[in-house]
Amino acid sequence: MSENDMAPAFSDADLARRRNAARRLGWLLGAAVLALYLIGLFIKR
Amino acid sequence: MSTATTHAAEHPADPYPGGLMRWLTTTNHKDIGTMYLTFSLIMFFIGGLMILAVRAELFQPGLQLMRPEFFNQLIGVHALVMIFAALMPAATGFANWMLPLMIGAPDMALPRLNNWGFWLLPPAAILLTLPFTLALFGIGDGALATGWTFYAPLSVQGGMGVDFAILAVHILGISSIMGSINIIVTIFNMRAPGMTMMKLPLFAWGWLITAFLLIATLPVLAGAVTMLLTDRHFGTHFFDAAGGGDPILFQHLFWFFGHPEVYILLLPVWGLMPHVLSTFSRKPAYGYTAQVYSFIAIGLLSVVVWAHHFFTAGMPIPALVYFMFSTMAISIPLAVLFFCWIATMWKGAMTFETPMLFAVGFIVLFGIAGLTGLILADVAADAQYHHSYFVVAHFHYALFAGGIMGVMTGVYYWLPKWTGHMYSEKLGKLHFWLTVFSFNLTFIPQFFLGLAGMPRRIPDYALQFAEFNAISTLGAFVLGLSQLLFAWNIWCCVRGGPKVESRVWEGAEGLEWELSSPPPHHSWETQPTVK
Repeated sequence: MSENDMAPAFSDADLARRRNAARRLGWLLGAAVLALYLIGLFIKR
Repeated sequence: MSTATTHAAEHPADPYPGGLMRWLTTTNHKDIGTMYLTFSLIMFFIGGLMILAVRAELFQPGLQLMRPEFFNQLIGVHALVMIFAALMPAATGFANWMLPLMIGAPDMALPRLNNWGFWLLPPAAILLTLPFTLALFGIGDGALATGWTFYAPLSVQGGMGVDFAILAVHILGISSIMGSINIIVTIFNMRAPGMTMMKLPLFAWGWLITAFLLIATLPVLAGAVTMLLTDRHFGTHFFDAAGGGDPILFQHLFWFFGHPEVYILLLPVWGLMPHVLSTFSRKPAYGYTAQVYSFIAIGLLSVVVWAHHFFTAGMPIPALVYFMFSTMAISIPLAVLFFCWIATMWKGAMTFETPMLFAVGFIVLFGIAGLTGLILADVAADAQYHHSYFVVAHFHYALFAGGIMGVMTGVYYWLPKWTGHMYSEKLGKLHFWLTVFSFNLTFIPQFFLGLAGMPRRIPDYALQFAEFNAISTLGAFVLGLSQLLFAWNIWCCVRGGPKVESRVWEGAEGLEWELSSPPPHHSWETQPTVK
Protein backbone atom coordinates (compact mmCIF):
# COMPACT_ATOMS: atom_id res chain seq x y z
CA MET A 1 0.00 0.00 0.00
CA SER A 2 1.21 3.44 -0.80
CA GLU A 3 1.38 6.44 1.53
CA ASN A 4 -1.85 7.55 3.14
CA ASP A 5 -3.11 10.93 4.23
CA MET A 6 -5.78 11.45 6.83
CA ALA A 7 -8.63 13.76 5.85
CA PRO A 8 -11.87 14.61 7.67
CA ALA A 9 -14.23 11.66 7.82
CA PHE A 10 -16.83 10.85 5.20
CA SER A 11 -19.31 13.71 5.23
CA ASP A 12 -22.95 12.92 5.95
CA ALA A 13 -23.84 13.70 2.34
CA ASP A 14 -21.05 11.54 0.94
CA LEU A 15 -21.90 8.66 3.27
CA ALA A 16 -25.60 8.90 2.38
CA ARG A 17 -24.77 8.92 -1.34
CA ARG A 18 -22.52 5.89 -0.97
CA ARG A 19 -25.09 3.99 1.14
CA ASN A 20 -27.87 4.75 -1.35
CA ALA A 21 -25.74 3.49 -4.22
CA ALA A 22 -24.92 0.38 -2.16
CA ARG A 23 -28.62 -0.19 -1.43
CA ARG A 24 -29.56 0.08 -5.10
CA LEU A 25 -26.85 -2.38 -6.13
CA GLY A 26 -27.87 -4.67 -3.25
CA TRP A 27 -31.47 -4.83 -4.53
CA LEU A 28 -30.22 -5.49 -8.05
CA LEU A 29 -28.05 -8.38 -6.88
CA GLY A 30 -30.94 -9.73 -4.78
CA ALA A 31 -33.19 -9.62 -7.84
CA ALA A 32 -30.55 -11.51 -9.83
CA VAL A 33 -30.45 -14.20 -7.14
CA LEU A 34 -34.25 -14.55 -7.19
CA ALA A 35 -34.26 -14.69 -11.00
CA LEU A 36 -31.65 -17.47 -11.00
CA TYR A 37 -33.72 -19.39 -8.46
CA LEU A 38 -36.97 -19.02 -10.42
CA ILE A 39 -35.62 -19.33 -13.95
CA GLY A 40 -35.34 -23.11 -13.61
CA LEU A 41 -39.14 -23.35 -13.56
CA PHE A 42 -39.28 -22.16 -17.16
CA ILE A 43 -36.56 -24.38 -18.61
CA LYS A 44 -37.85 -27.49 -20.35
CA ARG A 45 -35.69 -30.55 -19.98
CA MET B 1 -12.02 21.70 7.93
CA SER B 2 -15.50 20.37 8.24
CA THR B 3 -16.33 19.04 11.66
CA ALA B 4 -19.06 16.96 13.26
CA THR B 5 -19.82 15.21 10.03
CA THR B 6 -18.87 11.73 11.04
CA HIS B 7 -20.81 8.55 11.44
CA ALA B 8 -19.65 8.62 15.05
CA ALA B 9 -21.19 12.04 15.48
CA GLU B 10 -24.59 10.51 14.80
CA HIS B 11 -24.10 8.47 17.98
CA PRO B 12 -22.21 10.85 20.27
CA ALA B 13 -22.30 8.75 23.44
CA ASP B 14 -22.19 5.37 21.69
CA PRO B 15 -25.45 4.39 23.36
CA TYR B 16 -25.44 0.80 22.20
CA PRO B 17 -26.97 -1.58 24.72
CA GLY B 18 -24.88 -3.82 26.90
CA GLY B 19 -25.06 -7.55 27.56
CA LEU B 20 -27.03 -9.84 25.29
CA MET B 21 -28.92 -6.98 23.62
CA ARG B 22 -25.62 -5.59 22.35
CA TRP B 23 -24.97 -8.76 20.42
CA LEU B 24 -28.55 -9.23 19.26
CA THR B 25 -28.95 -5.71 17.91
CA THR B 26 -25.44 -4.70 16.91
CA THR B 27 -24.80 -3.31 13.45
CA ASN B 28 -21.09 -2.75 14.09
CA HIS B 29 -18.93 -4.70 11.66
CA LYS B 30 -16.43 -5.65 14.37
CA ASP B 31 -19.10 -7.04 16.71
CA ILE B 32 -20.67 -9.00 13.86
CA GLY B 33 -17.26 -10.26 12.75
CA THR B 34 -16.58 -11.45 16.28
CA MET B 35 -19.93 -13.26 16.38
CA TYR B 36 -19.24 -14.98 13.06
CA LEU B 37 -15.81 -16.12 14.21
CA THR B 38 -17.07 -17.32 17.61
CA PHE B 39 -19.93 -19.21 15.97
CA SER B 40 -17.49 -20.74 13.51
CA LEU B 41 -15.16 -21.92 16.27
CA ILE B 42 -18.02 -23.52 18.22
CA MET B 43 -19.30 -25.31 15.12
CA PHE B 44 -15.74 -26.40 14.23
CA PHE B 45 -15.59 -28.29 17.52
CA ILE B 46 -19.10 -29.74 17.09
CA GLY B 47 -18.25 -30.94 13.56
CA GLY B 48 -14.92 -32.23 14.86
CA LEU B 49 -16.57 -34.26 17.62
CA MET B 50 -18.85 -35.89 15.04
CA ILE B 51 -15.93 -37.05 12.92
CA LEU B 52 -13.98 -38.25 15.97
CA ALA B 53 -16.92 -40.58 16.68
CA VAL B 54 -16.65 -41.78 13.07
CA ARG B 55 -12.89 -42.34 13.37
CA ALA B 56 -13.40 -44.18 16.67
CA GLU B 57 -15.78 -46.56 14.90
CA LEU B 58 -13.23 -47.05 12.11
CA PHE B 59 -10.37 -47.74 14.53
CA GLN B 60 -11.01 -51.45 14.08
CA PRO B 61 -12.88 -53.50 11.50
CA GLY B 62 -16.37 -54.59 12.53
CA LEU B 63 -19.12 -52.57 14.18
CA GLN B 64 -18.13 -51.43 17.70
CA LEU B 65 -19.80 -48.22 18.69
CA MET B 66 -22.75 -47.37 16.47
CA ARG B 67 -25.29 -48.58 13.97
CA PRO B 68 -24.47 -48.00 10.27
CA GLU B 69 -27.43 -45.58 9.96
CA PHE B 70 -26.00 -43.39 12.71
CA PHE B 71 -22.54 -43.58 11.11
CA ASN B 72 -24.02 -42.29 7.84
CA GLN B 73 -25.74 -39.44 9.66
CA LEU B 74 -22.50 -38.42 11.36
CA ILE B 75 -20.46 -38.16 8.16
CA GLY B 76 -23.17 -36.17 6.33
CA VAL B 77 -23.78 -33.70 9.12
CA HIS B 78 -20.03 -33.40 9.84
CA ALA B 79 -19.50 -32.17 6.28
CA LEU B 80 -22.47 -29.80 6.27
CA VAL B 81 -21.45 -28.34 9.64
CA MET B 82 -17.80 -27.92 8.65
CA ILE B 83 -18.59 -26.35 5.26
CA PHE B 84 -21.63 -24.20 5.98
CA ALA B 85 -21.31 -23.52 9.69
CA ALA B 86 -17.54 -23.48 10.34
CA LEU B 87 -15.51 -22.54 7.24
CA MET B 88 -17.94 -20.18 5.49
CA PRO B 89 -18.80 -18.19 8.63
CA ALA B 90 -15.09 -17.95 9.49
CA ALA B 91 -14.38 -16.34 6.12
CA THR B 92 -17.39 -14.03 6.54
CA GLY B 93 -16.11 -13.13 10.01
CA PHE B 94 -12.76 -12.14 8.50
CA ALA B 95 -14.55 -10.07 5.85
CA ASN B 96 -16.66 -8.28 8.44
CA TRP B 97 -13.75 -7.50 10.70
CA MET B 98 -11.17 -6.60 8.11
CA LEU B 99 -12.75 -5.27 4.90
CA PRO B 100 -13.87 -1.90 6.31
CA LEU B 101 -10.49 -1.50 8.04
CA MET B 102 -8.61 -2.43 4.86
CA ILE B 103 -10.54 -0.24 2.43
CA GLY B 104 -10.97 2.76 4.73
CA ALA B 105 -14.74 2.41 5.18
CA PRO B 106 -16.53 3.41 8.41
CA ASP B 107 -18.52 0.14 8.39
CA MET B 108 -20.10 -2.33 5.98
CA ALA B 109 -22.44 -0.59 3.53
CA LEU B 110 -25.58 -2.34 4.80
CA PRO B 111 -25.13 -2.87 8.54
CA ARG B 112 -28.65 -4.07 9.40
CA LEU B 113 -28.54 -6.66 6.63
CA ASN B 114 -25.25 -7.70 8.17
CA ASN B 115 -26.85 -8.30 11.57
CA TRP B 116 -29.71 -10.26 10.01
CA GLY B 117 -27.31 -12.36 7.94
CA PHE B 118 -25.51 -13.48 11.07
CA TRP B 119 -28.57 -14.18 13.20
CA LEU B 120 -29.96 -16.56 10.58
CA LEU B 121 -27.02 -18.85 11.28
CA PRO B 122 -27.75 -20.15 14.81
CA PRO B 123 -31.30 -21.34 13.95
CA ALA B 124 -29.95 -23.03 10.83
CA ALA B 125 -27.25 -24.79 12.87
CA ILE B 126 -29.90 -25.94 15.34
CA LEU B 127 -32.00 -27.31 12.47
CA LEU B 128 -28.99 -29.21 11.15
CA THR B 129 -28.18 -30.87 14.46
CA LEU B 130 -31.65 -31.11 16.04
CA PRO B 131 -32.64 -34.43 14.45
CA PHE B 132 -29.83 -36.13 16.43
CA THR B 133 -31.31 -34.81 19.67
CA LEU B 134 -34.89 -35.66 18.71
CA ALA B 135 -33.84 -39.21 17.84
CA LEU B 136 -32.39 -39.60 21.33
CA PHE B 137 -35.93 -39.02 22.66
CA GLY B 138 -37.40 -41.48 20.21
CA ILE B 139 -38.71 -38.81 17.83
CA GLY B 140 -37.92 -39.35 14.17
CA ASP B 141 -35.11 -41.35 12.66
CA GLY B 142 -32.19 -38.98 13.13
CA ALA B 143 -30.34 -36.60 10.83
CA LEU B 144 -29.93 -36.98 7.08
CA ALA B 145 -28.03 -40.12 6.17
CA THR B 146 -27.25 -39.31 2.56
CA GLY B 147 -23.88 -37.68 2.96
CA TRP B 148 -23.66 -33.91 2.47
CA THR B 149 -24.49 -34.24 -1.24
CA PHE B 150 -28.19 -35.18 -0.75
CA TYR B 151 -28.00 -37.51 -3.76
CA ALA B 152 -31.36 -38.62 -5.13
CA PRO B 153 -33.03 -41.09 -5.01
CA LEU B 154 -31.68 -41.87 -1.52
CA SER B 155 -32.58 -38.39 -0.30
CA VAL B 156 -36.09 -38.67 -1.78
CA GLN B 157 -36.63 -41.80 0.29
CA GLY B 158 -34.82 -40.62 3.47
CA GLY B 159 -36.36 -39.72 6.83
CA MET B 160 -37.27 -36.34 8.25
CA GLY B 161 -33.60 -35.51 8.79
CA VAL B 162 -33.48 -34.70 5.06
CA ASP B 163 -36.27 -32.13 5.51
CA PHE B 164 -34.42 -30.52 8.41
CA ALA B 165 -31.25 -30.34 6.31
CA ILE B 166 -33.11 -28.91 3.28
CA LEU B 167 -34.56 -26.14 5.44
CA ALA B 168 -31.20 -25.53 7.12
CA VAL B 169 -29.41 -25.27 3.75
CA HIS B 170 -32.02 -22.76 2.54
CA ILE B 171 -31.47 -20.58 5.60
CA LEU B 172 -27.68 -20.90 5.46
CA GLY B 173 -27.85 -20.01 1.77
CA ILE B 174 -29.96 -16.90 2.41
CA SER B 175 -27.49 -15.84 5.10
CA SER B 176 -24.55 -16.30 2.71
CA ILE B 177 -26.30 -14.40 -0.08
CA MET B 178 -26.98 -11.49 2.27
CA GLY B 179 -23.35 -11.49 3.36
CA SER B 180 -22.18 -11.63 -0.26
CA ILE B 181 -24.40 -8.75 -1.38
CA ASN B 182 -23.11 -6.70 1.53
CA ILE B 183 -19.48 -7.45 0.70
CA ILE B 184 -19.88 -6.61 -2.99
CA VAL B 185 -21.65 -3.31 -2.37
CA THR B 186 -19.19 -2.39 0.38
CA ILE B 187 -16.20 -2.97 -1.88
CA PHE B 188 -17.80 -1.11 -4.79
CA ASN B 189 -19.17 1.85 -2.84
CA MET B 190 -17.28 2.36 0.41
CA ARG B 191 -13.62 2.49 -0.59
CA ALA B 192 -11.54 5.41 0.64
CA PRO B 193 -10.71 8.09 -1.94
CA GLY B 194 -7.81 6.99 -4.09
CA MET B 195 -8.32 3.28 -3.54
CA THR B 196 -8.95 2.16 -7.09
CA MET B 197 -9.89 -1.44 -7.80
CA MET B 198 -6.30 -2.25 -8.69
CA LYS B 199 -5.13 -0.90 -5.34
CA LEU B 200 -7.64 -3.02 -3.46
CA PRO B 201 -6.01 -5.38 -0.93
CA LEU B 202 -5.79 -8.93 -2.31
CA PHE B 203 -7.91 -10.20 0.57
CA ALA B 204 -10.72 -7.96 -0.67
CA TRP B 205 -10.22 -9.20 -4.23
CA GLY B 206 -10.41 -12.83 -3.08
CA TRP B 207 -13.62 -12.09 -1.21
CA LEU B 208 -15.13 -10.14 -4.11
CA ILE B 209 -14.81 -13.15 -6.43
CA THR B 210 -16.11 -15.41 -3.65
CA ALA B 211 -19.18 -13.21 -3.20
CA PHE B 212 -20.00 -13.30 -6.92
CA LEU B 213 -19.59 -17.09 -6.93
CA LEU B 214 -21.98 -17.40 -4.00
CA ILE B 215 -24.56 -15.24 -5.73
CA ALA B 216 -24.26 -17.23 -8.95
CA THR B 217 -24.40 -20.72 -7.47
CA LEU B 218 -26.37 -20.72 -4.21
CA PRO B 219 -29.71 -20.12 -5.99
CA VAL B 220 -29.05 -23.26 -8.04
CA LEU B 221 -28.46 -25.31 -4.87
CA ALA B 222 -31.58 -23.77 -3.34
CA GLY B 223 -33.54 -24.68 -6.48
CA ALA B 224 -32.21 -28.25 -6.42
CA VAL B 225 -33.12 -28.87 -2.78
CA THR B 226 -36.53 -27.22 -3.28
CA MET B 227 -37.15 -29.68 -6.13
CA LEU B 228 -36.02 -32.43 -3.78
CA LEU B 229 -38.51 -31.21 -1.19
CA THR B 230 -41.36 -31.23 -3.71
CA ASP B 231 -40.35 -34.73 -4.85
CA ARG B 232 -40.52 -35.86 -1.23
CA HIS B 233 -43.82 -34.27 -0.24
CA PHE B 234 -45.73 -32.83 -3.18
CA GLY B 235 -45.80 -35.61 -5.73
CA THR B 236 -43.32 -34.22 -8.29
CA HIS B 237 -40.84 -36.49 -10.07
CA PHE B 238 -37.87 -34.29 -10.90
CA PHE B 239 -35.40 -36.92 -9.75
CA ASP B 240 -37.55 -40.05 -9.89
CA ALA B 241 -36.85 -42.20 -12.96
CA ALA B 242 -40.13 -44.08 -12.49
CA GLY B 243 -42.04 -40.83 -12.97
CA GLY B 244 -39.98 -39.66 -15.94
CA GLY B 245 -37.43 -37.78 -13.84
CA ASP B 246 -33.66 -38.16 -13.71
CA PRO B 247 -31.56 -38.75 -10.58
CA ILE B 248 -28.45 -37.62 -12.47
CA LEU B 249 -30.09 -34.21 -12.94
CA PHE B 250 -29.74 -33.73 -9.19
CA GLN B 251 -26.03 -34.43 -9.40
CA HIS B 252 -25.63 -31.83 -12.14
CA LEU B 253 -27.55 -29.21 -10.15
CA PHE B 254 -25.81 -30.02 -6.87
CA TRP B 255 -22.30 -29.89 -8.28
CA PHE B 256 -22.98 -26.74 -10.26
CA PHE B 257 -23.01 -25.25 -6.78
CA GLY B 258 -20.72 -27.81 -5.13
CA HIS B 259 -17.59 -27.29 -7.18
CA PRO B 260 -17.53 -23.48 -7.02
CA GLU B 261 -18.17 -23.98 -3.30
CA VAL B 262 -14.63 -25.37 -3.03
CA TYR B 263 -13.32 -22.05 -4.37
CA ILE B 264 -15.81 -20.13 -2.25
CA LEU B 265 -14.10 -21.72 0.75
CA LEU B 266 -10.58 -21.16 -0.58
CA LEU B 267 -10.54 -17.78 -2.36
CA PRO B 268 -10.73 -15.71 0.86
CA VAL B 269 -7.75 -17.71 2.14
CA TRP B 270 -5.83 -17.24 -1.11
CA GLY B 271 -6.50 -13.53 -0.77
CA LEU B 272 -5.19 -13.52 2.77
CA MET B 273 -1.98 -15.44 2.03
CA PRO B 274 -0.09 -12.67 0.18
CA HIS B 275 -0.67 -10.31 3.11
CA VAL B 276 0.85 -12.77 5.59
CA LEU B 277 3.71 -13.87 3.32
CA SER B 278 4.55 -10.28 2.47
CA THR B 279 4.49 -9.22 6.14
CA PHE B 280 6.84 -11.93 7.37
CA SER B 281 9.10 -11.77 4.31
CA ARG B 282 9.27 -7.97 4.63
CA LYS B 283 8.69 -7.58 0.90
CA PRO B 284 5.70 -6.43 -1.17
CA ALA B 285 3.47 -9.23 -2.45
CA TYR B 286 4.82 -10.49 -5.75
CA GLY B 287 2.61 -10.26 -8.86
CA TYR B 288 -0.40 -8.32 -7.59
CA THR B 289 -1.99 -8.06 -11.04
CA ALA B 290 -1.27 -11.70 -11.86
CA GLN B 291 -2.94 -12.77 -8.61
CA VAL B 292 -6.03 -10.65 -9.30
CA TYR B 293 -6.43 -12.12 -12.79
CA SER B 294 -5.81 -15.62 -11.43
CA PHE B 295 -8.64 -15.13 -8.91
CA ILE B 296 -10.94 -14.02 -11.73
CA ALA B 297 -9.87 -16.91 -13.99
CA ILE B 298 -10.37 -19.47 -11.21
CA GLY B 299 -13.78 -17.98 -10.42
CA LEU B 300 -14.87 -18.24 -14.07
CA LEU B 301 -13.47 -21.74 -14.58
CA SER B 302 -14.99 -23.02 -11.35
CA VAL B 303 -18.53 -22.76 -12.73
CA VAL B 304 -17.86 -24.76 -15.88
CA VAL B 305 -16.19 -27.91 -14.51
CA TRP B 306 -18.78 -29.42 -12.16
CA ALA B 307 -19.27 -32.83 -13.79
CA HIS B 308 -15.81 -34.10 -12.85
CA HIS B 309 -17.42 -35.02 -9.51
CA PHE B 310 -19.42 -37.77 -11.18
CA PHE B 311 -17.45 -39.01 -14.17
CA THR B 312 -18.45 -42.56 -13.22
CA ALA B 313 -22.19 -41.80 -13.41
CA GLY B 314 -21.87 -42.05 -17.17
CA MET B 315 -21.84 -39.32 -19.78
CA PRO B 316 -20.90 -38.98 -23.46
CA ILE B 317 -17.19 -39.16 -24.30
CA PRO B 318 -17.00 -35.53 -25.54
CA ALA B 319 -18.47 -34.40 -22.21
CA LEU B 320 -15.92 -36.47 -20.29
CA VAL B 321 -13.08 -34.99 -22.32
CA TYR B 322 -14.41 -31.44 -21.94
CA PHE B 323 -14.83 -31.71 -18.16
CA MET B 324 -11.41 -33.37 -17.77
CA PHE B 325 -9.51 -30.66 -19.66
CA SER B 326 -11.49 -27.74 -18.25
CA THR B 327 -10.82 -29.06 -14.74
CA MET B 328 -7.12 -29.43 -15.45
CA ALA B 329 -7.08 -25.89 -16.85
CA ILE B 330 -7.76 -24.58 -13.33
CA SER B 331 -4.27 -25.71 -12.38
CA ILE B 332 -2.81 -22.94 -14.59
CA PRO B 333 -4.08 -19.89 -12.67
CA LEU B 334 -3.61 -21.85 -9.44
CA ALA B 335 0.03 -22.47 -10.37
CA VAL B 336 0.38 -18.73 -10.97
CA LEU B 337 -0.82 -18.14 -7.39
CA PHE B 338 1.64 -20.69 -6.00
CA PHE B 339 4.42 -19.05 -7.98
CA CYS B 340 3.49 -15.60 -6.64
CA TRP B 341 3.35 -16.88 -3.04
CA ILE B 342 6.78 -18.49 -3.34
CA ALA B 343 8.23 -15.48 -5.18
CA THR B 344 6.94 -13.21 -2.39
CA MET B 345 9.12 -15.14 0.07
CA TRP B 346 12.09 -15.38 -2.32
CA LYS B 347 15.11 -13.54 -0.88
CA GLY B 348 12.90 -11.96 1.77
CA ALA B 349 14.00 -11.25 5.35
CA MET B 350 11.80 -14.07 6.60
CA THR B 351 10.84 -14.78 10.19
CA PHE B 352 8.59 -17.61 11.27
CA GLU B 353 6.02 -16.35 13.72
CA THR B 354 2.93 -18.56 14.05
CA PRO B 355 0.94 -16.98 11.15
CA MET B 356 3.93 -17.44 8.84
CA LEU B 357 4.34 -21.07 9.93
CA PHE B 358 0.70 -21.71 9.11
CA ALA B 359 1.04 -19.88 5.77
CA VAL B 360 4.06 -21.94 4.72
CA GLY B 361 2.37 -25.12 6.00
CA PHE B 362 -0.66 -24.14 3.93
CA ILE B 363 1.43 -23.80 0.75
CA VAL B 364 3.05 -27.22 1.16
CA LEU B 365 -0.05 -29.16 2.19
CA PHE B 366 -2.45 -27.38 -0.12
CA GLY B 367 0.01 -28.18 -2.92
CA ILE B 368 -0.65 -31.86 -2.22
CA ALA B 369 -4.39 -31.18 -2.60
CA GLY B 370 -3.74 -29.58 -5.98
CA LEU B 371 -1.57 -32.41 -7.26
CA THR B 372 -3.94 -35.17 -6.11
CA GLY B 373 -6.78 -33.15 -7.65
CA LEU B 374 -5.06 -33.41 -11.01
CA ILE B 375 -5.03 -37.19 -10.64
CA LEU B 376 -8.76 -37.22 -9.89
CA ALA B 377 -9.48 -34.91 -12.83
CA ASP B 378 -8.14 -37.60 -15.18
CA VAL B 379 -11.16 -39.55 -16.43
CA ALA B 380 -9.28 -42.83 -16.78
CA ALA B 381 -7.66 -42.64 -13.35
CA ASP B 382 -10.83 -41.37 -11.67
CA ALA B 383 -12.63 -44.60 -12.49
CA GLN B 384 -10.21 -46.29 -10.09
CA TYR B 385 -10.25 -43.67 -7.33
CA HIS B 386 -13.86 -42.49 -7.38
CA HIS B 387 -15.74 -42.98 -4.10
CA SER B 388 -12.58 -44.27 -2.42
CA TYR B 389 -10.64 -42.94 0.57
CA PHE B 390 -8.25 -41.34 -1.91
CA VAL B 391 -10.97 -38.76 -2.55
CA VAL B 392 -11.51 -38.25 1.18
CA ALA B 393 -7.80 -37.62 1.73
CA HIS B 394 -7.63 -35.28 -1.30
CA PHE B 395 -10.47 -33.01 -0.22
CA HIS B 396 -9.24 -32.86 3.35
CA TYR B 397 -5.89 -31.61 2.07
CA ALA B 398 -7.92 -28.99 0.19
CA LEU B 399 -10.40 -28.05 2.89
CA PHE B 400 -8.49 -28.66 6.12
CA ALA B 401 -4.95 -27.81 5.03
CA GLY B 402 -6.18 -25.25 2.51
CA GLY B 403 -9.29 -23.94 4.23
CA ILE B 404 -9.03 -24.42 7.98
CA MET B 405 -5.27 -23.93 8.24
CA GLY B 406 -5.78 -20.81 6.12
CA VAL B 407 -8.36 -19.58 8.61
CA MET B 408 -5.94 -20.33 11.45
CA THR B 409 -3.31 -18.29 9.59
CA GLY B 410 -5.72 -15.37 9.52
CA VAL B 411 -6.72 -15.74 13.16
CA TYR B 412 -3.10 -15.69 14.39
CA TYR B 413 -2.28 -12.82 12.01
CA TRP B 414 -5.16 -10.56 12.97
CA LEU B 415 -5.97 -11.64 16.55
CA PRO B 416 -3.54 -9.10 18.08
CA LYS B 417 -5.15 -6.38 15.94
CA TRP B 418 -8.64 -7.41 17.08
CA THR B 419 -7.87 -7.76 20.78
CA GLY B 420 -4.95 -5.41 21.34
CA HIS B 421 -3.05 -8.29 22.98
CA MET B 422 -0.38 -10.67 21.73
CA TYR B 423 -1.21 -14.37 21.87
CA SER B 424 1.29 -16.91 23.18
CA GLU B 425 3.80 -17.63 20.39
CA LYS B 426 4.95 -20.73 22.24
CA LEU B 427 1.45 -22.21 22.28
CA GLY B 428 0.84 -21.07 18.71
CA LYS B 429 3.93 -22.83 17.42
CA LEU B 430 3.12 -25.97 19.42
CA HIS B 431 -0.37 -25.86 17.92
CA PHE B 432 1.09 -25.56 14.41
CA TRP B 433 3.51 -28.47 14.70
CA LEU B 434 0.96 -30.76 16.38
CA THR B 435 -1.62 -29.86 13.72
CA VAL B 436 0.71 -30.52 10.79
CA PHE B 437 2.03 -33.76 12.27
CA SER B 438 -1.36 -35.17 13.24
CA PHE B 439 -3.08 -33.97 10.06
CA ASN B 440 -0.60 -35.92 7.94
CA LEU B 441 -0.83 -38.89 10.29
CA THR B 442 -4.60 -38.87 9.72
CA PHE B 443 -4.76 -38.37 5.99
CA ILE B 444 -1.62 -39.88 4.39
CA PRO B 445 -2.84 -43.38 5.37
CA GLN B 446 -6.17 -42.54 3.72
CA PHE B 447 -4.42 -42.04 0.35
CA PHE B 448 -3.03 -45.57 0.67
CA LEU B 449 -6.42 -46.93 1.80
CA GLY B 450 -8.03 -45.40 -1.27
CA LEU B 451 -5.35 -46.72 -3.59
CA ALA B 452 -5.88 -50.17 -2.07
CA GLY B 453 -9.61 -49.91 -2.81
CA MET B 454 -11.30 -48.97 0.47
CA PRO B 455 -14.60 -47.24 -0.35
CA ARG B 456 -15.64 -44.13 1.56
CA ARG B 457 -18.77 -43.87 3.72
CA ILE B 458 -18.65 -47.40 5.16
CA PRO B 459 -18.61 -48.19 8.91
CA ASP B 460 -16.95 -51.57 8.49
CA TYR B 461 -14.15 -52.74 6.19
CA ALA B 462 -12.03 -55.67 5.11
CA LEU B 463 -9.25 -56.82 7.44
CA GLN B 464 -6.53 -55.74 4.99
CA PHE B 465 -7.33 -52.07 5.75
CA ALA B 466 -7.01 -52.38 9.55
CA GLU B 467 -3.50 -50.96 10.15
CA PHE B 468 -3.89 -47.81 8.09
CA ASN B 469 -7.29 -47.13 9.67
CA ALA B 470 -5.86 -47.51 13.18
CA ILE B 471 -3.05 -45.03 12.34
CA SER B 472 -5.55 -42.62 10.79
CA THR B 473 -7.77 -42.72 13.88
CA LEU B 474 -4.79 -42.11 16.14
CA GLY B 475 -3.85 -39.08 14.05
CA ALA B 476 -7.42 -37.77 14.08
CA PHE B 477 -7.60 -37.81 17.89
CA VAL B 478 -4.27 -35.99 18.23
CA LEU B 479 -5.48 -33.50 15.60
CA GLY B 480 -8.75 -32.96 17.45
CA LEU B 481 -7.10 -32.57 20.86
CA SER B 482 -4.44 -30.20 19.54
CA GLN B 483 -7.18 -27.79 18.47
CA LEU B 484 -7.91 -27.23 22.15
CA LEU B 485 -4.59 -25.37 22.27
CA PHE B 486 -5.91 -23.06 19.54
CA ALA B 487 -9.10 -22.31 21.48
CA TRP B 488 -7.14 -21.82 24.74
CA ASN B 489 -4.66 -19.47 23.05
CA ILE B 490 -7.50 -17.37 21.63
CA TRP B 491 -9.29 -17.30 24.99
CA CYS B 492 -6.15 -16.16 26.83
CA CYS B 493 -5.44 -13.52 24.17
CA VAL B 494 -8.97 -12.11 24.38
CA ARG B 495 -8.70 -11.97 28.18
CA GLY B 496 -5.32 -10.24 28.28
CA GLY B 497 -1.67 -10.47 27.40
CA PRO B 498 1.12 -8.14 26.33
CA LYS B 499 -0.21 -4.98 24.66
CA VAL B 500 0.51 -4.54 20.97
CA GLU B 501 0.97 -1.43 18.84
CA SER B 502 -1.23 -0.43 15.94
CA ARG B 503 1.25 -1.95 13.46
CA VAL B 504 1.40 -5.32 15.16
CA TRP B 505 3.92 -6.87 12.79
CA GLU B 506 7.09 -5.08 11.70
CA GLY B 507 6.57 -5.81 8.01
CA ALA B 508 2.81 -5.25 7.86
CA GLU B 509 1.53 -2.82 5.23
CA GLY B 510 -1.98 -1.55 4.62
CA LEU B 511 -4.62 0.78 6.03
CA GLU B 512 -5.76 -1.67 8.71
CA TRP B 513 -2.44 -1.32 10.54
CA GLU B 514 -2.84 2.45 10.90
CA LEU B 515 -5.75 2.09 13.30
CA SER B 516 -5.12 1.36 16.97
CA SER B 517 -5.15 -2.21 18.27
CA PRO B 518 -7.96 -2.90 19.03
CA PRO B 519 -9.49 -0.50 16.52
CA PRO B 520 -11.88 2.16 17.84
CA HIS B 521 -15.62 1.41 17.91
CA HIS B 522 -16.13 3.61 14.83
CA SER B 523 -13.43 2.56 12.43
CA TRP B 524 -12.45 5.59 10.36
CA GLU B 525 -13.39 8.83 12.09
CA THR B 526 -10.71 10.48 10.01
CA GLN B 527 -10.87 9.33 6.46
CA PRO B 528 -7.73 7.93 4.84
CA THR B 529 -6.78 8.94 1.33
CA VAL B 530 -4.80 6.40 -0.62
CA LYS B 531 -2.12 7.88 -2.87
